[in-house]
Amino acid sequence: MTALRRLDSRLVFFVLIAAFVLVIVVYPLVQVFLRSLLVDGSWSLRNYEAVFGRPRNYIALWNSVWVSLAATALATVIGTLAAFVVQRTDVPLKTLLRFMLILPFAIPPLFAAMGWVQLAGPVGLLTQAWKSLTGAATAPWTIYGAGGIIFVLGITKYPFVFITVAGALQRMDASLEEAARTSGAGTGRIMRDITLPLVRPAILGGALLAFVSCIDNFGIPAVLGLRVQFQVLTTRIYEALTIPDLPLATAMSMLLVVLAGIAVWLLGKFEGRRGEHAIIGGKSIRPHIIRLRGARPWVALALFAAAIVIVVLPVFALLVTAIQPYYGAPLNPETITMRNFEAVLNSSAAQRGIRNSLTLAPIAATILVIVTALLAYLNVKAKVRGAKLLDGIGMVPFALPGSVIGVGMILAWSNPPIGPTLYGTLWILLVAYLMRYMAYGLRSCRASLMQIHDSLEEAASTSGASRLRTMRDVTLPLMRPGMIAAWVLIFMSAYHELTVSALIWSARNETVGVWIFVMQDSGFPGRASALAIAILPIILIMFMITQWLSADRSAI
Amino acid sequence: MGVTIQVEGLTKRFGSMTAVDGISFAMEEHEFFSLVGPSGCGKTTTLRCVAGLETADEGRIGIKGTVVYASAERIDVPTHERAIGMVFQNYAVWPHMNVFDNVAYPLRLKRASRTEQQRRVGHVLEMLGMEALAKRKPSQLSGGQQQRVALGRALVGEPDVLLLDEPLSNLDAKLREHMRVELKRIQRETGIPILYVTHDQLEALAMSDRIAVMNEGSIHQVASPIEIYERPATKFVLDFIGSVNYLPGELLRVGVDTVDLRVAGGATLTLPRPSFVPEAREILLAVRPEDLVLGESVPGSDLRARVELRSFLGNLCEYRLRCQGHELRVQTGKEELVPEGTDVVVGVRRGYLLERAAAQDATARAS
Repeated sequence: MTALRRLDSRLVFFVLIAAFVLVIVVYPLVQVFLRSLLVDGSWSLRNYEAVFGRPRNYIALWNSVWVSLAATALATVIGTLAAFVVQRTDVPLKTLLRFMLILPFAIPPLFAAMGWVQLAGPVGLLTQAWKSLTGAATAPWTIYGAGGIIFVLGITKYPFVFITVAGALQRMDASLEEAARTSGAGTGRIMRDITLPLVRPAILGGALLAFVSCIDNFGIPAVLGLRVQFQVLTTRIYEALTIPDLPLATAMSMLLVVLAGIAVWLLGKFEGRRGEHAIIGGKSIRPHIIRLRGARPWVALALFAAAIVIVVLPVFALLVTAIQPYYGAPLNPETITMRNFEAVLNSSAAQRGIRNSLTLAPIAATILVIVTALLAYLNVKAKVRGAKLLDGIGMVPFALPGSVIGVGMILAWSNPPIGPTLYGTLWILLVAYLMRYMAYGLRSCRASLMQIHDSLEEAASTSGASRLRTMRDVTLPLMRPGMIAAWVLIFMSAYHELTVSALIWSARNETVGVWIFVMQDSGFPGRASALAIAILPIILIMFMITQWLSADRSAI
Repeated sequence: MGVTIQVEGLTKRFGSMTAVDGISFAMEEHEFFSLVGPSGCGKTTTLRCVAGLETADEGRIGIKGTVVYASAERIDVPTHERAIGMVFQNYAVWPHMNVFDNVAYPLRLKRASRTEQQRRVGHVLEMLGMEALAKRKPSQLSGGQQQRVALGRALVGEPDVLLLDEPLSNLDAKLREHMRVELKRIQRETGIPILYVTHDQLEALAMSDRIAVMNEGSIHQVASPIEIYERPATKFVLDFIGSVNYLPGELLRVGVDTVDLRVAGGATLTLPRPSFVPEAREILLAVRPEDLVLGESVPGSDLRARVELRSFLGNLCEYRLRCQGHELRVQTGKEELVPEGTDVVVGVRRGYLLERAAAQDATARAS
């Protein structure tokens, strides 16, 4: 009897979650796929012909590929070098340095792009400084166009590489390097023959994550590319939807899916090969630390300077722009004004944006944490058949460019066969965030459940605890840090989301990210910066919580 | 006879903790020399100092007449310039290279020709019975096979000394026994001196020419396995090598060949005089299990005890006896099984004497 009831409750949960995953993830994707092949109700490849028939479309595709590759290369070099220095040398202030080096994760890409325009644009702070220093009429660089996009993408996405490589270096068994040393290899040889080959999968893995994230990005190419007619797929989809040419946007979304799909397929191959590198654990010995000797302060200085240029300068520029009377005004403490803050914070659209984002983000985070914790439990602990498949489907949006999710939302919820038309309401944003961030919850909950050895729960049942009691007393408390981390991460990401929101927002249903972009795009960089500065503290606090939580968890 | 490794006054501290406290020893040529002791005794640190993987704080280390470390002269030869081969506890076989490349690596660093590599790696793999697996990746090898690859890699460059850091502790019991014999065979064949670190006293006894027993950063005794077992220098060595029973008692008379003592509730024993006899009257009698005879009287040296627990171990049988509140461990052949609860006579053949007041101290003299 009890066995039957237990089976039932699991089945009920499984069916509910399956329905959730089908509606939130599968349905919009199927829509994108089918509609890209449908023209006036019949099967056709005409939508794809439209992509490849017009240069501005296929050039956008090509631009997406090469700009992302170049930005990934930049991110890989920065990330790998930084990881080696932090993990393998005696550079001082490591903890602070590590924190500063992952801080770009906390700065929304849109803010970075705006900041860099204000630093290196035609009237930017650096540009002005350069001009007054050299007397030249123009700066020898331009932030607009491919170069600027590659640069800003590279310096915002390198933490993907930094984190994976630093992790691999930390986990790497020190005796593998020592064995080379006792075989007669010097430090340089060891790096070349042992260390680099062993962390290569991590470098490639991090690079692919960075690539997918570059392909996905909308804010940076929108701010730095649209003005000079330099288009990538995400900005082209955005334009196509303003016309609106939905079939074209749909076909281009499918191309994004293909690009991301290739990257994920490669990632899977490298991660699979990483398993080959599983190493029997021995005594844990500190890895060999390279003494920088005299170079020590200089290396530290260089890294801190780089971190400051990457993280602090753009935010500083935003701040300067926000408190200036007009954009490009010379720096002058006497002209500091709060006008931009007053203007933007008193506008009803910005107020609605803040309120909407502060409503949507916690709701999405809460729903997702509950659903994904249940799904992870069914998958990892209850081992319900089919739960693994659901988990796999839920992970798909992780690699899915936001534009695809946006187009999928429009197609799925404009005139759905059943259910309400969500397009044009606030709730389409919620559904979109549920799709986009489901993987965040799954990953975190799955990982924390897998760390709970089955014997911990078995010990509770053999002590006389019922299944429910075991879950309450053992499983849930041990899962809690993972669930909290997922919640904060989803909240933070959804709070300043732009790529998807920019495609599906509607009048009176603004989000704060969208409104900053609209202000920037319509020529009010001062107000955009003021709004960005106003919401940055909450993002930074959330980010610090995620860092603190993950440090706390790895200590267990 | 030359000296392979000479260690003098070696000291290594980690922060405020002194891991190795001024130890000295010298290894002979072709010798299988073991450092044995509980975890944290400093044996691995000593080995890593010899390898140069840790930099000692004080002392001198010489390998085959070359000073590789001397704090006074500020000599510190980097690891890769020391003529050593090392096998790690977790083997540290490089996962991205196949068996051949792993073993050939030291030769490649010496820029040996391709044919030279083929010849010498082939020879080593043959000696280890691994020639058929040369093209395999480490992930396709068992633990024992990875172990051989690590050993081959350490041997191939014909180093002056082989350093082994608990190489057998990750293998299962059967394989461990096999590798023990194998290692000894390889050492005989190649004549290479081996500095061996283990916490397993049986391993050390079985394989070594000489053993240094370490505890808390100091060496308690350096001697042959028989010497270590039969004439432990300190209470720690007595305790750590083999097992031992303790009975508190009083020393009654010290003769030329024998001693008389009263132990545990009044039984008087006359035992062969051990090499060390404490001055004090209050003593601790230490007896190895095999020096107790169960159910058989040794004239003048009998104890009465009750069998509390019997454990059948296959080739022999182990008993826990209770003798006036003291526990005794005795082993017998499996022929004469005594049931639990029986009162028995226990003969004492010989024992070691310790001063009772000093017995708390592990460095107390034992023989």
